[in-house]
Amino acid sequence: MMLIAGTFPDGNLPLMVGEVRTEDGHLVIQGRRLPCMQGSGAMMSAAVAVAEYLKLDPPQAVVAGDIGQGKGSRAIYEYLIQNVNALAPEVLALHYWLPDMELTRKLCEAVDRCGRRPVMVADAASMYSAKAAGLAPSFDIFTPDATEMAFLADPDATHPAYIARHLFDTDITRTPRLVETAYANNSAATLLLVKGAVDYVVRSGEIVDTIDEPDVPALEAIGGTGDTITGLVSAFVYAGLEAHEAAAIAARANRMAGQFAGATPAHRISDIIDQFPAVFREYLCQWSGVCCTGTEGEHDD
Amino acid sequence: MGLLRQRKQPAFKGSGLVVFADVHEAMKAEQVLKGADYGVRLVAPPPALRKGCDLAIEMNLVEQFGIERLFREKDVAYVEILPLAASASQPLDVVKVTDFGDWFMVTAGNMKVTFNKETGVIVNTSGGGCPDIPYLHAELVDRRLAEAPDPKDIGFTLCALMLHRALQECLVLWDGGDGS
Repeated sequence: MMLIAGTFPDGNLPLMVGEVRTEDGHLVIQGRRLPCMQGSGAMMSAAVAVAEYLKLDPPQAVVAGDIGQGKGSRAIYEYLIQNVNALAPEVLALHYWLPDMELTRKLCEAVDRCGRRPVMVADAASMYSAKAAGLAPSFDIFTPDATEMAFLADPDATHPAYIARHLFDTDITRTPRLVETAYANNSAATLLLVKGAVDYVVRSGEIVDTIDEPDVPALEAIGGTGDTITGLVSAFVYAGLEAHEAAAIAARANRMAGQFAGATPAHRISDIIDQFPAVFREYLCQWSGVCCTGTEGEHDD
Repeated sequence: MGLLRQRKQPAFKGSGLVVFADVHEAMKAEQVLKGADYGVRLVAPPPALRKGCDLAIEMNLVEQFGIERLFREKDVAYVEILPLAASASQPLDVVKVTDFGDWFMVTAGNMKVTFNKETGVIVNTSGGGCPDIPYLHAELVDRRLAEAPDPKDIGFTLCALMLHRALQECLVLWDGGDGS
């Protein structure tokens, strides 16, 4: 099972757990339609796109409404702490929620008690709380952008708003130095996919791949393009790819979807997500060896 | 024979501290925060952070923005909110402007706001990871800069604070400033 957890911007949305699929440009969980927008919506939509194309089991989602007050976030934490062992996911991807170091610590302890440890993926504020609580090494994959990479490299910061001024820079050429510092401080997951003008794939401190083509600068402005990468990585790992391969393919697929969409800063994330099936049809076999024979999603390997 | 047991301190580690000038105000603040469902506790501030009284409130630093607004609404007087351990004592105040031709993208910390130069309409917000960010995205996108709600008024987290700063810089650009 691929289990994805995150909040949605609806204060009235209760905790819901179930299979997630897409319908008419929306996500559907337990019959309830949720927006495919920046945040967990974009992340889940990308994961669903991979699952549908590769004919994997649909992702399972744990969601709750939260507009920043933390109640929905805490409901998700508590649910996962109590149920992750029984659910026994192969991949557990954590996304938007109110960062809470204590609850993150309890969740990591619950994961440690699982008979089979899931691949742990974190992005957005779940990555913030993991790093702030000193638990980054318990995670397999983080997907920071350039600013968040500076946050990981700052030994004291508990949120990117409080990183040291000298570390703040959106210049991606500084990423290798920040990566080195973050690993030295035990503030990085085993694998990092650092998103930016150049995407860096880093495994245990070593940069193993860089992706800079196609170059679609407008993607940075479009809310949700980092979220889709996290959804893609999670789903490709669930499909059986090694983490570093999954990261590189996710970065390429996201860029290519931006190019297919002719992305401008005014495009919406749904415009990018709509392109994933076409990108997979044209490139996934070439990039990954996961090939299809005529019928969409039919593997021949 | 009864055993003496040391009372265990809760393990709450909130990463932020509200500092007060007097004990009364600190206790009032605790009531206000607990009444609004914030996870907080009264603590003695570390000597280096003492600004007034010997009572402070430990809070989740990420919630700074919402807590500051609540204090304003409830007339709670506090000296300042500080990170318990951080390289910086204040949130980042650096902004960067990227020119995309028809659009400007303004970056403040981990948040970005992009608007159309001709119409002043916000076309996107991106970055961040706190739960109010998708909500603010929905509230801001497609609004004119001057008519958009300020994240200061409806956001709760440090991501919202960064979005507020980016939006302020957008307004400066829109009003003809150079954005520097």
